[in-house]
Amino acid sequence: MLGAVIVLLYALAALAAPLLAPHPPLTQYLEERLAPPSAQFPLGLDQLGRDIFSRLLFGARLSLMVGLVVVVIAGVLGTVVGMAAGFAGGRVDHALMRVTDIFFAFPSLILAMAIAAALGPSLTNAMIAIAMVTWPVYARLSRAQTLVLVRQEFLEAARAVGAGDLHILARHVLPNALSPLVVQASFNMGDAILIAAGLSFIGFGAHPPTPEWGVMVSEGRDYITTQWWVPTFPGLAILMAVTGFNLLGDGIRDMLDPRLRRAG
Amino acid sequence: MGLVLLGVSVLTFFIAHVVPADPVLVALGEHAREDQIQAYRHAYGLDRPVGVQYLIYVHRLLAGDFGISIRTRRPVAEDLGEFLPATVELGGTAWLVALLLGIPAGILSALYKDRIFDHLSRIGSLIGASMPVFWLGLLLLGSFYYRLRWLPGPGRLDISAIPPPLRTGLLLIDSALAGDGAVFWSALRHLVLPALTLGLFSTAVIARMTRSAMLEVLYQDYIRTARAKGLARARIVLRHALRNAMIPTLTIVGISFGNLLSGAVLTETVFAWPGLGRYATTSAISLDFPAVMGVTIVAAVIYTTINLAIDLLYARLDPRVRYE
Amino acid sequence: MRIRIAVVVMLVGVLFAPQTPSRAATASDTLVYVNDISDMISLDPAVVYEFSGVLVAQNVYDTLVTFEGEDLTTIKPRLAQSWTIRDAGLTWKVTFKLRPGVKFSTGRPVTAKAVAFSFDRVIALNKSPAFLFKEVAGLNEGDTIPVGDDTVVVSLPKTASPLAFLNILTFSVGGIVDPEEAMAHQSGADRGEAWLRNHSAGAGPYVLERWDPQSRAVLVANPNYWGPKPRLSRVIIQHVPETSTQKFMLETGDADIAADLTPEQAQDLTSKADVKLQDGKLLQLVYVGMNVKQPPLDNVKVREAIRWSIDYDGIIRSLLRGGARKVQTIVPEGLFGFNSSAPFQQDIAKAKALLAEAGLAGGFAVEMLVPTGPAPGGPKWSDIAAKIQSDLAKAGIKVDIKETVQAQLLGVYRAQKGQMVMILWGPDFPDPDGNATPFSDYAAHSIAWRNQYNDTAAATLAKQAALEPDLTKRRTLYKQLTDKVLHEGPYIVLYQPTKRFGLRQNVQGFVWNPMAYTEFRTVSK
Repeated sequence: MLGAVIVLLYALAALAAPLLAPHPPLTQYLEERLAPPSAQFPLGLDQLGRDIFSRLLFGARLSLMVGLVVVVIAGVLGTVVGMAAGFAGGRVDHALMRVTDIFFAFPSLILAMAIAAALGPSLTNAMIAIAMVTWPVYARLSRAQTLVLVRQEFLEAARAVGAGDLHILARHVLPNALSPLVVQASFNMGDAILIAAGLSFIGFGAHPPTPEWGVMVSEGRDYITTQWWVPTFPGLAILMAVTGFNLLGDGIRDMLDPRLRRAG
Repeated sequence: MGLVLLGVSVLTFFIAHVVPADPVLVALGEHAREDQIQAYRHAYGLDRPVGVQYLIYVHRLLAGDFGISIRTRRPVAEDLGEFLPATVELGGTAWLVALLLGIPAGILSALYKDRIFDHLSRIGSLIGASMPVFWLGLLLLGSFYYRLRWLPGPGRLDISAIPPPLRTGLLLIDSALAGDGAVFWSALRHLVLPALTLGLFSTAVIARMTRSAMLEVLYQDYIRTARAKGLARARIVLRHALRNAMIPTLTIVGISFGNLLSGAVLTETVFAWPGLGRYATTSAISLDFPAVMGVTIVAAVIYTTINLAIDLLYARLDPRVRYE
Repeated sequence: MRIRIAVVVMLVGVLFAPQTPSRAATASDTLVYVNDISDMISLDPAVVYEFSGVLVAQNVYDTLVTFEGEDLTTIKPRLAQSWTIRDAGLTWKVTFKLRPGVKFSTGRPVTAKAVAFSFDRVIALNKSPAFLFKEVAGLNEGDTIPVGDDTVVVSLPKTASPLAFLNILTFSVGGIVDPEEAMAHQSGADRGEAWLRNHSAGAGPYVLERWDPQSRAVLVANPNYWGPKPRLSRVIIQHVPETSTQKFMLETGDADIAADLTPEQAQDLTSKADVKLQDGKLLQLVYVGMNVKQPPLDNVKVREAIRWSIDYDGIIRSLLRGGARKVQTIVPEGLFGFNSSAPFQQDIAKAKALLAEAGLAGGFAVEMLVPTGPAPGGPKWSDIAAKIQSDLAKAGIKVDIKETVQAQLLGVYRAQKGQMVMILWGPDFPDPDGNATPFSDYAAHSIAWRNQYNDTAAATLAKQAALEPDLTKRRTLYKQLTDKVLHEGPYIVLYQPTKRFGLRQNVQGFVWNPMAYTEFRTVSK
């Protein structure tokens, strides 16, 4: 439940950023650039004299948005494909699974980088790229669930009553297949944030002066020896956010699957 | 698998051709004249329709020709061959680290469940699986190189160290073959930080999976029976539990390899490691799509091959799986 | 368990293992120069056009003539002992008399045939630097004729300037290559290009020992060098992309010269005892181009308003920590025709007044393309862009920054589709025309064209000034041209950067040539 707490904190920080931030994220206090943490600037100033703490708060918005968008797109796309495959079976299933395999064959960052490079470096394109890379997992999961459920008797019963395929999928299969998908979504949020930060770090995601955490680490890397706070705190923010989502995912999984709880 | 690879080539090609900007301009620079540009396009076949370009590409690909890099003007295959060993050395070492640290950690964690070691290990795994690779690399470099000077900085070798004659491209092996102890140590010391950085995520993931797999197995009835019979605990663990726990762990090991390839991109950037990851980044930045396609396809092929090998190993270990 | 103990032992052992001898200060006969050499793609003088490649080529291939040190106005003899320029009616004839007794690193003598081979090769291979010979000098294959062993006659068309040609020859493209060595390693019809990519066959003070891409280039002294032996027999140009690592290596003595320091890092080094700083001049100009066909930038008052909004001094003071010169005209300092006039400074009231006159009192929105990575002088492009964004905001102009990778940015710019584009320009040869024509002549399909700046008066001035032999007249023409462009043109020139080098105290004799290279043979420790 620690996970839920962390995630909630982040969500709050993200939503309330304009209220909580002591300074606007783009304002430059050029004369005092690279100042160390102080009462006025709790986490110090970066190389353009911008308040790191305020930028972190606004960065939380971006990261959470990235995570949500990716999870929604990948989740919806993957689940639809997976359910269709599991339900239809046969050639359709085979074909769809081949497509999924193709996407699975690529290491995530490399494919994301190729897509982001092709579309042009921006946070939006990075989100699309990451979604393209992560949807196959949802497809596999939902297909597996669908296959199991399809054989269950209550579906036979529903069919006997005359319910249409789509109706069955939506009303009966989906709700039961949901639990592992939700667990996956939580882990996926963390992953998406990591990949997005990685892309931004090498220059294919968000770009300056956007206060995205990966960008902040990249911009600050030259200062690691002398003004260490500039790249360190954004990285710490990433670490904590992802840890929160991973914990949350663990927690949800333990809650939903009693069998695992004993072993885990 | 062949079909998958075909799909891989289609997807990669498709991505590379969605590129809005013109990479020819980057290759030829600011002063390129119109005739130079046209000559270039013709030489690279960029003036043919996309479908034709794809077919030509695949045809060449099957012969091992990845095309010519727009940025370095060399066959991409040569570039790939030049930078692959560095990544193999780094990735291989990181993988070894992950296995050597992760699996034992997971086993011990399961055996001493809920004790201090287990808690520490679980926290460590959680953090390790959540850590941004580039940040970790930066921190390690900052502390162990800059602050403490215990370990050397970026690059594969000390500056004045003369690389051994090129055999495999793996410095550890080449220097060992040449009997050059100093260079061997230099290469090894330069590997420590990047390998730890790259391997941490996989270590964490493997440790977690090993732990839960071991726990799953340890509670099963036949183990209880064996214990009741009084067999020495170590024997039980090593003979029975481990064997069965390795199966799901193996899957994770395979999947984590993909993470190694991805992480290599970031790690190589931070440590100025002259490998495929850096090549991929430089190529992507320059919109050098033959190179980008080459790296992507190679990465996909490696990943797929590893997973195939894992699947086969899987079948050997678990007879139930063989008929799937 | 045992495995883990073994791993721990190995790690500990690695940490405290005997260090290779190179960890201490670098060897006394070796210079370690740390730099970002990721742009090095070939070391063939007919191909090389990137900064780090040029750096190596200039040390390995001697040219016929050269500039020495920082002086870009006096051409000095090198492989050519003397030369004459004759007006031959339809052409110029430039005759070079070669220095006797000069050998390549291979031991073979440098002959007139070698010169002809090298020049023809550049034209035939038609790579990036070829336009310097072909378009600027109007040279074709066969225009360079060897007469005997020691005389070379080059025919230039009357439209070309022989002085410009001599200027070009000082650049790496004019490096003389050993023809027999090149042809012996020829693959197909490439005249040795594939081999010369990472091997050398020149007559310079150094020889290329090895080049490991993305890693290092190693130069060793040429035993057959005709001139005085270089003081340091080995030069290692090490690839270190992180500037903080460069600085660190300099401080610990792992490096002798660090070439890519940021202004902060340079400032930090002033307090260190065994390190010193040295400035190197650059001929680059960092500017913002405005597309004059895109409203409201088509209104000259609007462009002037933007010029009056920017805090030039602030950029140089805070972002560059003084590592640049404020230049607002299109010919950089160090070249003939430099105009030091810099009337613009931040005057928001004036800017607003001008905008009001143009009917845009409420301001407007505009998009600015900005490259990724570091700008000349050290700070990131995006940092400078952010500063300009905040400056213009004060006048009511909203700038939308689009950071774009170089490849894409150039594409958009060349297609005349940019609104405001922030970028740099460096001349290809040290003649003012290298800047004047691109910036003023629409027909040159260069910078003026990209910003859709079509002014026949400016173009004519540029052409006249290029060919004017009388120096006083030439100076006047350039003053007229630069003043005109300063006020009417589409460019906001921000600064001319200085390169800051960090050196160990014992390093002497390092001189940076503003055409972006240095001659290592003068350096000693």
